[in-house]
Amino acid sequence: MSALPEPAYAEFAVQSNFSFLRGASAAEELMVTAGMLGLSAVGLADRNTVAGVVRAWKQAEAGGLRYHPGCRLVFSDGAPDILAYPRDRAGWGHLCRMLTDANTRGEKGAPDLLLEDLFCWGDRMALAVLPQALEQPGALLPLLRRLRDRFGAALRLAIAPDYGGDGRFRIEQAAALADDASLSLMAVNDVLYHAPERRPLQDTLSAIRLKTTVAEAGFALEANAERHLKTPREMARLFRRHPQALAETLRFSAELGFSLAELQYNYPDEPTESGLPPQEELERLTWAGAKVRFPEGLSEKNRRIIEHELKTVGELKYALYFLTVHDIVKFARSKGILCQGRGSAANSLICYCIGVTEVGPHIVNVLFERFISKERNEPPDIDVDFEHERRGEVMAYIYEKYSSRRTALAASVVTYRGRSAMREVAKAMGLSDDAQSAMSGSIWGWSSSELGEREAAAAGLDKADLTTRLVFERANEIVGFPRHLSQHVGGFVITRDRLDEIVPIVKTAMDERKMVEWDKDDLDAIKILKVDILALGMLTCLRKCLTLLEEHYDRPLTLATIPAEDPRVYDMICRADTLGVFQIESRAQMSMLPRLRPREFYDLVIEVAIVRPGPIQGDMVHPYLRRRQKKEKVTYPKPELEEILDKTLGVPLFQEQAMRIAIEAGGFSPGEADQLRRAMATFKRTGTIGNYRRRMIDGMTKRGYEQDFAERCFKQIEGFGEYGFPESHAASFALLVYSSCWLKVYYPDVFCVGILNAQPMGFYAPAQLVRDAREHGVEVRPVDINHSEWDCTLEEAAFDCARIEPRHAEMLGVIKTRCAVRLGLRQIKGLTEESLRKATVQRGDGYVSLYDLWLRSGLNANELEKLAQANAFRSFGLDRRTAIWAVRALDGHTAEDELPLLNRPNQTLRNHEPPTPLPVMPPSEHTIHDYRTLGLSLKAHPVHFLRRRLDHAGITPNACLPSIPDGSCVSVAGLVLVRQRPGKGNAIFLTLEDEGGIANIIIWARGFDRFRPIVMGARFVSVTGKLQSESGVIHIVATAMEDLTSWLSSLSEKAKMPESYGPTDEIKRGIDEDRRKKHRSGSIIQNRKLTEGPATGKEVAAVMPKGRNFQ
Amino acid sequence: MTLFANKQHQRILALWFPRLPAERVLRQRFGRSWRSRMPATQPPLLFSSRENNTQRVAALDERAAALGLRCGLGIAEARAMHTSVEVIEAEPEADRRLLEALADWCDRYTPLVALDGEDGLFLDITGCAHLFGGERALLDDLLARFFHQGFEVRAVLASTPGAAWAAARYGTDSVIEQGEEAGSIASLPLAALRLNAKICAGLESVGLRFAGAILDLPRAPLVRRFGKIVTLRIDQALGRVDEPISPRLAVPALIMERHFAEPIALMEDIETLVTALSRQLKSELERRGEGAQLLQLQLFRVDGAVARINVATSRPSRDPAVIRRLFHEKLSVCAPDLDAGFGFDLVRLAVMAAAPLEEEQVRLDAAGPDRDGDMTLFADKVRARLGERALTRPQMVESHIPERAARPVSLCAQHSSALHSSSARSAPPPGLAALATAARQRPIRLFDHPESIDITSAEVPEGPPSHFRWRRASYRVAAAEGPERIAPEWWRDGQSGTRDYFRVEDDSGRRYWLYRQGFYDDPEAAPRWFMHGVFA
Repeated sequence: MSALPEPAYAEFAVQSNFSFLRGASAAEELMVTAGMLGLSAVGLADRNTVAGVVRAWKQAEAGGLRYHPGCRLVFSDGAPDILAYPRDRAGWGHLCRMLTDANTRGEKGAPDLLLEDLFCWGDRMALAVLPQALEQPGALLPLLRRLRDRFGAALRLAIAPDYGGDGRFRIEQAAALADDASLSLMAVNDVLYHAPERRPLQDTLSAIRLKTTVAEAGFALEANAERHLKTPREMARLFRRHPQALAETLRFSAELGFSLAELQYNYPDEPTESGLPPQEELERLTWAGAKVRFPEGLSEKNRRIIEHELKTVGELKYALYFLTVHDIVKFARSKGILCQGRGSAANSLICYCIGVTEVGPHIVNVLFERFISKERNEPPDIDVDFEHERRGEVMAYIYEKYSSRRTALAASVVTYRGRSAMREVAKAMGLSDDAQSAMSGSIWGWSSSELGEREAAAAGLDKADLTTRLVFERANEIVGFPRHLSQHVGGFVITRDRLDEIVPIVKTAMDERKMVEWDKDDLDAIKILKVDILALGMLTCLRKCLTLLEEHYDRPLTLATIPAEDPRVYDMICRADTLGVFQIESRAQMSMLPRLRPREFYDLVIEVAIVRPGPIQGDMVHPYLRRRQKKEKVTYPKPELEEILDKTLGVPLFQEQAMRIAIEAGGFSPGEADQLRRAMATFKRTGTIGNYRRRMIDGMTKRGYEQDFAERCFKQIEGFGEYGFPESHAASFALLVYSSCWLKVYYPDVFCVGILNAQPMGFYAPAQLVRDAREHGVEVRPVDINHSEWDCTLEEAAFDCARIEPRHAEMLGVIKTRCAVRLGLRQIKGLTEESLRKATVQRGDGYVSLYDLWLRSGLNANELEKLAQANAFRSFGLDRRTAIWAVRALDGHTAEDELPLLNRPNQTLRNHEPPTPLPVMPPSEHTIHDYRTLGLSLKAHPVHFLRRRLDHAGITPNACLPSIPDGSCVSVAGLVLVRQRPGKGNAIFLTLEDEGGIANIIIWARGFDRFRPIVMGARFVSVTGKLQSESGVIHIVATAMEDLTSWLSSLSEKAKMPESYGPTDEIKRGIDEDRRKKHRSGSIIQNRKLTEGPATGKEVAAVMPKGRNFQ
Repeated sequence: MTLFANKQHQRILALWFPRLPAERVLRQRFGRSWRSRMPATQPPLLFSSRENNTQRVAALDERAAALGLRCGLGIAEARAMHTSVEVIEAEPEADRRLLEALADWCDRYTPLVALDGEDGLFLDITGCAHLFGGERALLDDLLARFFHQGFEVRAVLASTPGAAWAAARYGTDSVIEQGEEAGSIASLPLAALRLNAKICAGLESVGLRFAGAILDLPRAPLVRRFGKIVTLRIDQALGRVDEPISPRLAVPALIMERHFAEPIALMEDIETLVTALSRQLKSELERRGEGAQLLQLQLFRVDGAVARINVATSRPSRDPAVIRRLFHEKLSVCAPDLDAGFGFDLVRLAVMAAAPLEEEQVRLDAAGPDRDGDMTLFADKVRARLGERALTRPQMVESHIPERAARPVSLCAQHSSALHSSSARSAPPPGLAALATAARQRPIRLFDHPESIDITSAEVPEGPPSHFRWRRASYRVAAAEGPERIAPEWWRDGQSGTRDYFRVEDDSGRRYWLYRQGFYDDPEAAPRWFMHGVFA
């Protein structure tokens, strides 16, 4: 081959997987490949979106590749696609406005772009028409001329080789057409994927898009695998008769002067309260706040820290950012909405002084660089939690203040995860509905890890089978691909300039909310301000508790004034009596508490952070525990790490520590360490993590660290990547942990009401929360239409210490409760707040009868029946059954439709009719109905009624477990509350509840298959196994299990029907026998009695908690 | 709707098939003796149907029920519990057809057969039992026959449909004598009264859990709270009000039938029998002064299938010769569809419609609904003689692979579907993209098997050859166009390589369609060349 000069070429028709269900490669993959192939420049032009341009930009920058962000305009009025690349900042603004218009007009996810829009907004852009069909070039000519007249030399005609058999002719045809329209011809390859191996995936995506199967998609699929990125040499060969078409791509590139970097630092600049410039205003607020935060005066150290922070903020011009957040927090406080900053912001004393965060320097070492660093040069990330019920008010305030032109929500990119990937691919491969469910059902939760043998085997599929293999191949490729954009939970983007000239704005499912096309990483990269307005249920709960405390106990407290470091609080925590409190309520946390034995606030910070994937994956938990329990000496791998690790006994537990180890021991610069942390979050997309790994481990071993320690540190950073808890964040959370625990220790009644009224939240259902309160001696009163409000309330009542369960005996004399809890109407399933609140307002001095209630409350018959079923009419002297019978007799929807002829409240309806004898409801039946209507029963636990039978079966009550020696073999039973399969799935955890307590079961994975039907399906089980007790934490390792769900049906009175109504099984069999004898006939074939009738189900079981599945 | 005036002796047989879907599938797979023939490896069956976007168990077989699985359970949940179950999509249509076939088969006991929901039948056997040796014998006969056909059935005889229905599903009785209804159903659950789930739940919520609990309650309070349906159902079950059943087929005006101990299968036998039966009909019709306008020949196969063959006469007739000829024509057409299997054990000739017969009778030479000897008849004849696949026509298939782009479809299939549905549709019209792709030049003649050719040289990396040898002759390429690159359909078995097709013209002006499989830059395998077709 002769030594031709290497041709130059830039590719502009590139679609990434943000052209949903068309592009089959990630933007990062395209950029890496473009760099390797030696393209002079590359653009990214997804279909009517720029959602992928930032990712591509970051990757291209890293690879030193010339890159242009753009968009492929796809018109809904039949015009051919046009590649649009802004030439400068103004052009980018035009493009964004044009796309925003199209998004606003169209349906969600289907922009409605018209050619007119281009004529309107097309200035300052370089354009290339990319006609798909050239069969009738004459038809295109007028359009091309029109475009040419409007855009002049900015417009090109692009043509891609298609290997359709007439390739040469097509290019000639396009060249002639370009001549006719006096346009330049530009070569493109209309790329859908970075490499030809992605063709199968692209076909699959097409099938998913067209809602068909690959086999039936027919000509909708590409005939070959040519739409990948090609080398300049290959492109030169394909366009060998038109070298000018290649040269044109370079001229096109040369015209484009816009970089996404130009969008950076666009912060809102509201005039400040005092009229001072932002930096001075921030300084004023900070120093004023410092006086409040440090009433005894500012220490020299803290003064220096604040000065340092202010200086850095001034240099980086972030003052406006702080003021914006401060303003939002101030608004929330003015409305009495609890809020608290979380995350890395707690590393800043400024944030503490201006009231954004609550954790001061006395608790954590502020590491300002974790929050803001000059090297990283990215806007700080301030996340603020608000009460979940009132977050909407804060959001409304932001919309109002900045108007929809300057604020919108950040996007979050919803990607294909294991289950969805499997389902969609299986469907596209033509598997039946059932095979699809089998395949996707074999994956627990949402996993993005490689799918393979285990799933196939679980679904009963042979991985050697071609289709199965293809499904798994494609599913593994598609994992991580974006499916659609969704709104971020609370990330507000706020800008100084028009937001729709920075990034296109998209509609969301909720009309009043708009979002931008970029997610939080993209926004970070573009350095645009984002404030996370998050919702936290515990804040709602705490606010409600504090209000109750003031009303009923005359103790006006705030989060800041709750007495600190109370030993009683830590006593309770050490006993793991933390059901319902913030964060440390989960089973894993609870089993950690007696071992960790927190005695001061910082211990809580550790407790919050330690039960996280980071430390667990890094295998740091056990070493820490051993040291904490003084079973192991505190040592440091190297003396220089003592400063970093002394607070955590030489074991790195926090993200900051892992990063600082990377710096101190791994030889990373602080900026690099931060890059490393960030790379973790995105490593699945780029696959560059291996380099970091080698660097860090080599760096550490070279400096004399043990290989093992180095690897664990790295693993920990890996774990932090996605689920990281920095120390500052853990500290913010620990504050809420402490506050909620304090309330629970002294005022279990208040805490119970607060948390019930803040539902749904947390780990436990109302049944467990109520039970826990009662075990602490709180009287809980049933729902009643004459006593209950919509919310649960407190009623004056004497506190009876005797009610405290023996295992909480320590709480005797500590609990200050003087009230009883009255369950609210909200506990009744299926009632609406509005009409019930109205009914309580109408109540006046009380309803005297059901008829009175019906006449005055405005409740309809359906609502009354729900109340009757919930046994809420006892103040009328009606029990559940008579109440239902009476309600059933009411006709019409509400009394308002009726003539008030019989408007006598004392009238009873039954006067008019003959009396109907109704059977009395047995207690166990009442319990079932309580569960059905309220999800809990104050009368008795369902298992209570089965105790005699359980005793016979040799089953130990859960309450007796603590007195059983470690290592004994026991049998326990209970309702399945929770199933958990954490982390790698080596073990499955079950939580069983009986009338006296809870039993924690461990099932090792190897036994799981045997118990699978019981674990997954049963609601009431017995488990036999070895009891393991460590520091008061009791587990039972299951060796045998039995499904006792059918026992529950004996609670129903159906099972206890009088003999005349239905024979029991034994009798029935006898009768069958008799009948057979009576009607003996020659034939041996008889009516066979089935095991069950057509309609009998597991009704009782269905009422009982289904058990929640966690991963 | 019943034919019989004397209500006092109404006797209703209620049948319930609790495992119909499972039996449909198992019989298909293993035949009617599936119980013994089913391999031990056959996993328990679940039938799924989609409900609010969740797959739920719609039906199941005995073994799945024995595992504790139930209808209404989520499929995912069921699978999580028992990974070994086999899940099949429910086909309510197929179940319905099967139930109708079962209803047909029950015609042997009485013409008054009504469908009851998705899995039940009502037979009004009033006055029929004696033909089978009494009620008990009839029941035994029916149970035995269904059992041998591989169906599980619960059958109960009572004087009201309600009582029979209740006992079939929830009770243990087989025969309920008149007046014993209340005693029979008292111990059964409320659902046995055919009350919907909502009403049952309502009654249960006030503690009324069994049919017996409400039979004697004051009626007004019940009706006020739960509607008239409650008392209506009670009254129907107890026979206080009439409840007619509605037979699914028109009740024939006149029936002649013959049972056989030894089933018959030969067409001649059937035709002979038609003659015999029509003679019997003739005398009855004469007595009535009527002639048949619509006749139905019902052939009850031993295994339960029932064939119904209709003939219509343009004028009423009762001449056995005419009837026989009509059926002869019809039978000769139907013969291929009429699978006698193990033979027919009951043949019935029914007059479905009759009209007064005029004295003067026009002679019909030859008749039948198919008088126009059009394409249909032609196709039917050809098909009848030469088999299903004798007549085909090509149909376009959307595939880039040339040899898969067309497939032969049976002409007859098309015709017969056109005959049966009024809106006859062939394959959907190809889309625009399809046409554009199809318009790519393809040779007039495409070889079934591409033929290997030798080439001496070709333009690299992906150009046409300059010469080639095919069938021992040499050709010089004068002009060429291409390549058209077609990659294999990766989702099929048997991957072949990507092909580059060229249209080439030799120096005498003939055109060929060649392709190269493989690439010159592939170090593994040298490319190979093939001739795939010729143009004109």
